[in-house]
Parts: sequence; C-alpha cells; structure tokens
Amino acid sequence: MLRQPLTRAIALSSPSRVAPLGARRYADAVPAQPEKVEVFIDDKPVYVPPGTTVLQAAAQVGVEIPRFCYHERLAVAGNCRMCLVEVEKSPKPVAACAMPVMKGMRVKTDSDLTKKAREGVMEFLLVNHPLDCPICDQGGECDLQDQSMAFGSDKSRFTDIHFSGKRAVEDKDVGPLIKTIMTRCIHCTRCIRFASEVAGVDDFGTTGRGSDMQVGTYVEKMFLSELSGNIIDLCPVGALTSKPYSFAARPWETRRIDSVDVLDPLGSNIVVTTRTNEVLRILPRTNEEINEEWLSDKSRFACDGLKRQRLVTPMLADSRGNLTPVEWEDAIVAAARAIQDCPPDKLLAVAGDLADAESLVALKDLVNRLGSENVYTERDFPLEGSGTDLRSSYLLNTKIANVEDADFVLLIGTNVRFEAPLLNARIRKAFIHKETDVAVIGPKIDLTYDYLHVGDSASVVKDLATGSSSHEVLKRLDAAKRPIVILGADQLKTQEGSALLAYTQELALRLQDKLQDKNWKVLNVLQRSAGAVAALDLGYRPGVATALAAQPRVVFLLGADGGVVTREQLPKDAFVIYQGHHGDVGASIADVVFAGAAYTEKRATYVNAEGRAQQTLPAVSPPGRARDDWKIIRALSEVVGERLPYNNLDEVRDRLGQISPALVSYGEVQDNNYFAQARALSKSLQKPVSGTLDVQLKQLEDFFMTDPISRASPTMAKCVQAVIKQKSSVY
Amino acid sequence: MLSSLRSGVLSTWRTSARALQTSSALQHDSLFVHRDTPEDNPNIPFEFSPANQKRVEALLAIYPEGHKRGAMIPLLDLAQRQNGGWLPISAMHKVAEVLNVPRMRVYEVATFYTMFIRRPIGKYHLQVCTTTPCWLRGSDAILKAIKDATGCEVGGNSACGKFSISEVECLGACVNAPMVQVNDDYYEDLTVDDAKEIVEKLKKDEKPKPGPRSGRFAAEPLGGLTSLTEEPTGPGYGLQDALKS
Amino acid sequence: MLKVIARTANLAKTPLSRSLPAFSTCGARLSSSADPTSRREAPKLENETVLTLPEEAHQKNALESNITVPTKVDLTPVSGVPEEHIKTRRVRIYQPAKNAMQSGTNNIHHWEMEFDTRQRWENPLMGWTSTGDPLSNMKVQFSSPDEAIEHCEKNGWTWYLDVPKTEKPLKPKSYGINFSWNRRTRVSTK
Repeated sequence: MLRQPLTRAIALSSPSRVAPLGARRYADAVPAQPEKVEVFIDDKPVYVPPGTTVLQAAAQVGVEIPRFCYHERLAVAGNCRMCLVEVEKSPKPVAACAMPVMKGMRVKTDSDLTKKAREGVMEFLLVNHPLDCPICDQGGECDLQDQSMAFGSDKSRFTDIHFSGKRAVEDKDVGPLIKTIMTRCIHCTRCIRFASEVAGVDDFGTTGRGSDMQVGTYVEKMFLSELSGNIIDLCPVGALTSKPYSFAARPWETRRIDSVDVLDPLGSNIVVTTRTNEVLRILPRTNEEINEEWLSDKSRFACDGLKRQRLVTPMLADSRGNLTPVEWEDAIVAAARAIQDCPPDKLLAVAGDLADAESLVALKDLVNRLGSENVYTERDFPLEGSGTDLRSSYLLNTKIANVEDADFVLLIGTNVRFEAPLLNARIRKAFIHKETDVAVIGPKIDLTYDYLHVGDSASVVKDLATGSSSHEVLKRLDAAKRPIVILGADQLKTQEGSALLAYTQELALRLQDKLQDKNWKVLNVLQRSAGAVAALDLGYRPGVATALAAQPRVVFLLGADGGVVTREQLPKDAFVIYQGHHGDVGASIADVVFAGAAYTEKRATYVNAEGRAQQTLPAVSPPGRARDDWKIIRALSEVVGERLPYNNLDEVRDRLGQISPALVSYGEVQDNNYFAQARALSKSLQKPVSGTLDVQLKQLEDFFMTDPISRASPTMAKCVQAVIKQKSSVY
Repeated sequence: MLSSLRSGVLSTWRTSARALQTSSALQHDSLFVHRDTPEDNPNIPFEFSPANQKRVEALLAIYPEGHKRGAMIPLLDLAQRQNGGWLPISAMHKVAEVLNVPRMRVYEVATFYTMFIRRPIGKYHLQVCTTTPCWLRGSDAILKAIKDATGCEVGGNSACGKFSISEVECLGACVNAPMVQVNDDYYEDLTVDDAKEIVEKLKKDEKPKPGPRSGRFAAEPLGGLTSLTEEPTGPGYGLQDALKS
Repeated sequence: MLKVIARTANLAKTPLSRSLPAFSTCGARLSSSADPTSRREAPKLENETVLTLPEEAHQKNALESNITVPTKVDLTPVSGVPEEHIKTRRVRIYQPAKNAMQSGTNNIHHWEMEFDTRQRWENPLMGWTSTGDPLSNMKVQFSSPDEAIEHCEKNGWTWYLDVPKTEKPLKPKSYGINFSWNRRTRVSTK
C-alpha cells in the first residue's frame, strides 16, 4: 500500500492555504454587526441578528419547523401556513417563516396550540389533495406525505366527496421534462418563485381565485429555462414530477451514490440514483461553493444518454473498414503494433471534453515515454506569453461562490447562461439581491437579466484595457469595489485569441491593482468543458491544428468527440485509436475502439472551471466489456513495451499529486497567484484586434446537446424539438 | 331533470356498503386557462385606439416611475371597454407590453377579477342580482323574464349576439331590489314588465332610463318620508334667550 | 443533533476538514476539547473530594476511570473478511446528502461509511437486485467522523473523508423585500 509521505499530507491540508468561504473578509465589509437579540425556542435561548425569522432562529438550535412554501433560497411567500407556531403573548399562532424575531420572544414549536394549528392546516391542505399516493411519483419522498404523518390528524372529517367532490385541475404541458398533475398542487408557489427569481423566466403564475386558483402558465407554453428541472425538486408534493423518470422507481428501492457532474465546466455535485446497474435519475447535491442545490437540465436529464450509443466492447476495423467487435487482447495488440511502428514524432494524442485526470495522466505518460510530446486537447488556448504555464490564466479565479459578492460583472464573449447555467444563476442572484450590474461584450443574448451591451467587437476589450474607451462601462468598472471580468474560452480559438487574452488580463489586473480588497480576483476565464482544466494542468497543449499539420501516423483520441480531428486532415494511412464511452464523432473515424467508462461508472478526478478537483464515484459498473479508462491505457502500455509505473488507482493519483497537488486535494480550491507575471509576459501580445466576438450557444435549443452523452440522450433530443416548437408558437 | 335523476341514483348508491363514487368537479363558470378560439387568439391584433392611447398615457402618468405596473387594472379595464365589454388575450399582451411586465403577471390579474371577462360577450351584459334581498323581492321572476325576452341562458350569449346574462352577487342596491345592471347602468325597483321593456328597448339599441322604476328618485322610502317630515328649523333653534343676541 | 453541527463546524477548522487525498491514512485525531459555552454553571465541589490527599485522589481516580489500551487494535486477522476486500477497497466516510426532493433534514445529521460500488445485476428470478459483494450493503452510522475513522482503522480499511460543503452564513430572510420599492427583489407577484 502506497502511503503519502506525512510531510506532504500536512502541507496539503494546512488550512492557511485555503481560506474557508465563510471566513472570507472583505476590506470594505461592514465591521459593526448589529447587536444580536435573544429569543427562546422551546425555552432554549438562541442569539440571532435582528430581522431573522422565527423559522431561521429555530433552525439555529436544530428545531425544524414544518413548511411547504418556505424555501431558504427563494423569497418568503408565507402562504402555506404550515409553519404556524405559538408565540407567547401573541393571541394567534404566527407564521414562523415570515415573522421576524423580537427581543425575548418565546416561541413554542411543540405546544398544544401549535400542534392544533398544524393539524388544521394539514386538514385544509388535504381537503383538495387527491389521495393517489400509490400512483404518485413523489410517494416516498413527499413532504406532504411525511408531514401529514407527523403533524396531521389521524382521522378524516372530509365528507364532501358525496356533495361537490374534490377540486380537480387540468394538467399543464410545460415541456418534455416536467410532468404536471395539477390536482395535486397545494399552491405553495415555490415553482413560481423559482421561475421568476432564479431561472428568470417569468412564465409561471396563479390564475383564478379562491378554490379555483390554479398554478400554471395560463396559455399553453413550455417552461423555457435551462434550470427547469429544479422545480421538480422544489415541488413539495407530486404536482411537478420528472417526465423521463415517471413511474420508474420508488425512492426506497434505489441506491444513491454521491458523484460529480461533468456535462458542464462547473462540476456540480450530484447524487446518482441507480437500481440494478442502471442509472435512473440524477439529483443535485448541496454544495454551497458550486451549485448550491440547483442543477442544470442537461446535467439532470442527460443520464438516459448513458444507456444509448454506448461502446460496450472493443472494436477493430476489418478489411472492409467496418468496426467489428473483438477481444480486448486483439484490440490492444493491434493498437500497440501501430504505436510501435510509428516514429515518435508522428504519434499524436488528443484529449476530449469528458476525459478524466487519471486517464489523461496515463496517456500523457505513455506518449512521453514513447518519446513524443504530442499531447493535445481539442479546445484551443493561446500558447504565447505565459500560455498555460500559469494556472491563473485559464481558471475562474474569483470562484463561483464569490461571484455573488461582485458588484460589477463584465462578460466577454461568453453566454454564461448556457455554458455554465449555475454560474449564470449566481450572477442573477447577485443582480437581484446585491444590485450587481452586468455588462456584456459579445452578441446580444438573453441572459435572464438586464445588462449593458457594450458592443460585439474585440476592439472594445482593447479600448477598455488601455483606458481609451469613452463608454460608461469603463467608469463603472473603475468605480466598482469588487468587479469581475469573465472571458469565454471559446474566444481564444481565433488568431486574435492571444491578444484578446492579453487585453483581458491587462484590464482585469489594472482593476485588481487598485482594489482595496487585496484578495479579490478580477480575472476569470470560463472553460467550456469538464476535462479542460485537468488537461491544461497536466501539460496537454491546446490546439490540435498545428499537430495535425505535421501529418501524424497514429492518432490516439481520448474521448475526442468534438470533431476537431477528421479523417480528411489525416494522411491516408493514418491509424486512429479511439477510446471513449460513446459511439460518436471520434469512434466513427477510428480503426481501433477501446470501450471506456462514462462518468457514472468510474472513480475519476475532474477539475472544474475554478480549478477544484473533485471525484466521481462509480454508481454502476461499465456496460459490457468496457473498462476504466486509465486501466486500458495501462494495459496498452504494457503491450507497447513501456510499462507505466502504476498498478492501482492510488498510485495513479500519487502520480497526479506529483504533477500538481491541486489535482488530488479533493473538494478544495486554491487561490491563484502570479497574475502580475502573466500580465507582464502578455504585454508584448497586445496587438490590435479587429474581430467580432460570437458565442456558440446562443439559444436554448443549442444548450441541450453539446457532448457525446447528451447527444445520445433521447430526452435531450425531445427538449430540442420542444423548444423549437415553442419558439414557433405565438406565446 | 337529469340532475335530479343523477342525485336519485347517487342516493341509492350511497346506501350500499362500497358505493361506486365519482367526484363531480367543482367548477367555476369561467375557465382559468386560455384556449385559442377563432374569436380570441393571440393572432388577432389589438391596439389601443388613438383616444384611448391618450387615456393610457394619462393613466400611466399617475403612477411613479418603477411602479407603472400599478396601472394594470385601469389599462385592462380600458382595453375591455374598447373591445366591447370583454378582454381578449391579445389585449392582455398589449397591456403587458405597455407596462413592460411578463405576460403571466397580466394573466394573473385578469383572471383574478371577475369583472374582467375573458370570453366574447354580447353588447349588453345583463347582470341580474340574485342575492337574498333581491331574491326576496322577486329576482327569480326578473331573471326568467329577461331570459325569455333575450332568449339567452345564464352565462351565455343570446343568438343575436346582443345580450349576455350573468347571475351576480349583491351589487349594493338592496334598497332598490330587485335590480339589474346593464353594462355600467343600474336598473332598480324592477317588475317583470320593466325588465321586458328594458330588454325590448335594448333590442332596438335605445337606452332605457336608468335608475329606480318605482317613481322614486333614489333610495328614499316609497310611500313618502316617515320621519323628518316637518320643515327644518332655522339656526338658533332651542337656544336660551340669554344667548340670543 | 446540535452537538453534531458544532462538531462539524469545529471540524472545518482542523486540518482534517479538507477531504484528504484518497490514499491518506494519516492518524491525526480531532481535538476533543469540550465547548465551554455548553457548560451552564461552575462545577460543584464536594467536601470529600476537596479534603482527600493527592495520592488518595489519584488512587481513586485510577480505580474509577477506564483503562486505555495504548496499542492499535487490528481486527483483520479475526474479522474473517477476505484479504482482497481489505486491501483493495476504499471506504468513504461522509455525511449523507439531503434528498433534493424534500426539505426535511431529520436523518442526515450523522456520519456514514460505505464501500465503493461494485457490480449489481437484476436477479432473473424475482427482478430484485443482486450483488456478489457482501460489503457494499454495509452502511454503518457514526455520530462523528473520528469514530468512523477509528472503526475503519480497526478493520484495516483504507478510508477517506468527504466533508460536505453545506455550511453557509445565516442571512436573515425578510418578507418585506418582496415589496421593497426600489430593489430588484421585487420581481414577482406572490
């Protein structure tokens, strides 16, 4: 067993290197906290800041007050009345979710009055709630079910079934992701608040009044949001359930495996729900520093793509060029023979978007041992100046959670809404709650909030960086106390990429230098894929085009499905090895296919756009004869004759740690430095720029299918169809 | 009759141990979702008329900046009046556009208030009060007379398209019961003949005289005053002599 | 339950808080200093205790207290778990995540250990899930991560700690901001 030297373990875990989020202090933070007030929850004293609600104060001492409409990440609505509690000297029970605490308030959350109030509320809620729990998808994880058990009455006084019956509401069609059974709705309005506050798509509301009130869209309209799936989680009853997951499983028969999402660059934390080696659904897992408790639709619903288009067995092109299933030995020997016959400088390895750090390091080590330096990523990044040598040049240095505290956001050539939906949700949160303003350089897009459009020409960045711009944004940026600049990595593809990065660095550093808060980072580069940062950390070179020009004879595609490498660019006799989990663009041009594992099937390291290493856990085993990616490369290395020096995952990770300790300090993210050096190195690159900035994902229909997994997902295909159909509708 | 049959059947069922039960849906008389119809769909354009456009501006001017959405109800009312007494979906869209709010926020308001009518109705909307005071004073007969005269059912439109009848709750004219509201006018102290006459006049697009039909001016007692009948006394009445100058 | 929260809060400040690299089995322990705020009043002194001689007190203490065994306990030779399962598998020590579908948090205030998932399949007889791995269904609950770590080390399992990042500063919520006249929080009706 390989153990990490103790010194390194200590160095890695020394708290001084990572300031915990809660402890971050801003230079201009308000120093004097208002005096805390003492309140008593069930006679337990608790000190809370004034203005705190009774419900929050109770949570401080671990007393959980039942609720339906209250959600800590949404505005207070106070309409379900489930949180009624008795307050001493108050004649009536009060709604704990909306009632601010007062000095010396004595709250009784378990008194007879409170119990009676809850029982009454439950009774009213159940009057119009159908008793269809046995056929309801929420059954087993339903707040109404649980709370009626805990707080409801043990008998029913409901006899109206003989007279006017229960209320019935017609179902709404809000798209292919959300199934609505509106009769079950208890009007908590969480979905309405989520749509208008977090998603920024104000399409939900209540129509009618009294007992005829219904929640819906009034007109037939799909919920056009990239975060729509979250209203399924928010719904405390079974009114909104997941359409792809409908009638699939009960919560008690599934296993939940905590993992990490790889379909966008943020690395949202997820829970993979499985049964009998099959991924059934994906739910978000709370991580305050990344996704809070939301999840984008692609991450949530693309999981059915894991069952389709899979490479389940190694394959080899036969004499007619068709890929035919073969044994692992044959495939590996064929690949090894090609690699052995190939001169080192003609060997090329290309890593794709979903490659994990373990397989990346194994492939790089193998290629390097064979005497080649040709390891490339599909995505481009300028190599001039400091290139990828300094981590600060290609990461989200501000960090996702801190974006909330920014007071001015400048987006350069990125559609955050679709490239990183939850980062956009953070920006929107700052926009709403902190009055943060946003400016955009790039095409006019719908970001769900208002922004200043500064133009779409790259020269605007130059003018801002040099201070020669007369635009209002420059003044706003200069006046901002905590500005951030986010540059879309897609803009760095072009010839002008290096100049654009140089100007962005110049602009960000100029702003950063005069900030009072010396810890605040302004510069951010938003990568497009989950594998990008790990590849750059490990020393993969961006930009395959130059390597392709050198006419490689053997090309190893590690999940490279971006379509960057095509047969036309390669010489006729080039041998293409594809390793990955989906039969997509890469596999279609391959001579040998190695069947790898998808992110739900392996323990693998992914580094998100902030540079935070996180690991996925195997939820199911790889289908058929597919194997863990790094193991395939390790096996190949042995046949090639350059045995890689690691035999198990621990040793691979040890190797990762040798290259960069950040790759194995899971869950943590380090502060980046060397901004000034990167800026100095890029000074000479500040050449005139003339291009216009454009983004790849403009509309919602572009968002759903961007990688091999989501391209294989029927649900995502339905979403694209439905969005296009909705766009042609008049509503 | 069908309903009595149904309740009879139900009552026999209810006695058996495990009855087959259906719950009849509680239904409001208007629908709270939108359905596209040839008369009401978003492809029918709606614009405020030039005169109303001026009113829109005047209404908006009442509300401070940032609170323009407060003008929603007046604007919806204006749109409803312009459109002949009912509010099509394109008018709601227009109001949303004028106020720069999401359309859903307008739908919410328009569906909440029962005086916004979201289906095509006749030129004359006859709202018959059937709440207790009017009912005691014979509103059933009035309602029947109006139904017969217009050939229109409650909640429906007449064949000629001129009339719509609604049964409404108290309109606050109980002293003059029974009463009917036609568009903006109250017709009070009605008899069956009065009701018929009103409908006949409306059929000819003449405007019947609004107000009480019993000869009263307003809500004073029908048989003349029973108190305060003498002349009012002048100033200084009852003052002791010493204080009189 | 509060204690556990406080414990986790403490944990975040100790070096262990950061989920250690998977291959670390570093023997660091959490400090068990009791929170002084949890004590309500000064300890009561008994006459007898005060009057005893120091050596008598020592003797008495020794008789009353537990005996700590300094050596490390290793159960692997007697536990009967096949060596393959002990040597090659990794135990994850974590706090169960809140179910995103529900708002209740009642049964997640403990720590759990679980082994990595291995292959499962649908049993053709009844359609139930089968597995060849006896350890995968073993979820043991602990009140604190150090208990879990101790348990793992006793059994010779490699462990790693996964500390959830669910802590956030208390932000008072207010019903009033829905209606504030000059802020963007006034986004919806409700």
